[in-house]
Amino acid sequence: MIEPAIEFFDVSKAFRKQQVLRDTTFRVERGRTFAFLGRNAAGKTTAISIMMGLLKQDAGKVRVLGLDPATEHVEVRRSVGYLAEDQTIYGWMRCDEILRFMAPFYPSWDHQLALKYAEDFDVPLATKIKHLSKGQNVRLGLVLALAHRPELVILDDPALGLDPIMRKQFNRDLITHLQGEGRTVFYSSHLLYEVEPVADEIAILDAGRIIRQADTEKLRRDVKQIVLSSDALAYLPSELRILDHRQDGGDAALIVEQAEAVEERLASEGIEHRVVDLNLDEIFEAYVTGKRTPIAAMQRIAGTSDSLSRG
Amino acid sequence: MLIRIEKGSAVPISSQIAEQIAMQCAAGKLLAGHRLPSVRELARELAVNQNTILRVYERLVREGLLEMRHGQGTFVAEDSKGRSRTAHRKRLDKEFRQLARQGIALGLSADDLHEILSAAIEQLQRAAKTETGVSS
Repeated sequence: MIEPAIEFFDVSKAFRKQQVLRDTTFRVERGRTFAFLGRNAAGKTTAISIMMGLLKQDAGKVRVLGLDPATEHVEVRRSVGYLAEDQTIYGWMRCDEILRFMAPFYPSWDHQLALKYAEDFDVPLATKIKHLSKGQNVRLGLVLALAHRPELVILDDPALGLDPIMRKQFNRDLITHLQGEGRTVFYSSHLLYEVEPVADEIAILDAGRIIRQADTEKLRRDVKQIVLSSDALAYLPSELRILDHRQDGGDAALIVEQAEAVEERLASEGIEHRVVDLNLDEIFEAYVTGKRTPIAAMQRIAGTSDSLSRG
Repeated sequence: MLIRIEKGSAVPISSQIAEQIAMQCAAGKLLAGHRLPSVRELARELAVNQNTILRVYERLVREGLLEMRHGQGTFVAEDSKGRSRTAHRKRLDKEFRQLARQGIALGLSADDLHEILSAAIEQLQRAAKTETGVSS
């Protein structure tokens, strides 16, 4: 069996009393483009720092390309293309100097490719790094991450410093150069609409836990909003997982997992309902800040309001 | 082949692409035997994951709109026009039902709904007539 590109198993990490990762478990298969989504301070950068051997987990197992980053961080750094969220590079060097400086660290460095990326991403080669704008700094970091043709690329919010035109160009490069060549890409992002066309798979991290991992298209088919009359709640299966619910007058709007099964159930009971497709932002929001109420409690509430209005 | 992707839409990207290709088959813009861009080319052009494009092509092949010829690429199938019309007809059925439901919820009668539809068709016919009138 081929080992996955990245594997986290029950990983925990705390800074003093603040627990950042709690039993975080996920795996990224080779050749996949995997988007790591979460709000600010959800633990994304901490997880990525552990992958790169910059931090050590308190508990749990981490493997990157089969290596243990805690003990084999040199090998990990050499075979992974990495872009840090807050890249700080030697400010006194010029961009072309840093490219030549980095080359010997990587046996597989491709200098022609480095120069091509520098041109694509509008990196001014003759400028000193300390004089670059924030966006130019991110783009220089991307050139450094990609120029040694790594098998696995780990990018901490690469879209951060790119304008919409560059983001599209970056997505194209990711699709043709990385996906097209079967390499693994793991990247964090907060721009969900940019992630959707590109990622094979996404994981949602919230308060240090993975709350959902799924193929992007499957997630879109699986999570939908269902609008029905509050009286009809009684017909829903009690084990149904509701991510968010809103009620207004006699109507209830539920965001549910396994939408297809729920629809079938409602159709077979002959219950009038409407199914609303959701975009990725709405799905993310439902997972992260949705109003969860167990279905049984909702049925009780619907029941009481019903009897009150009748009485 | 012109395709527009709306980012952040509630319609999944694969459905957006599939529907636009089907629409162009139905409208006769993509004719039988026409060669589609390769998966790689279309993925690059639209900046969309290659696997997504591949799944769209495969789905349209299953629906009989496209055919894959080994080693040559993907082509618009014979009778794609008829097949895509059937598929569109189904979708329209659904949309009409949704509209009818909204109308009933607003308190319109069946006659009111028929009237709205007839008026819309009449308007289109009138527009078509003035267009041909101008060009002739």
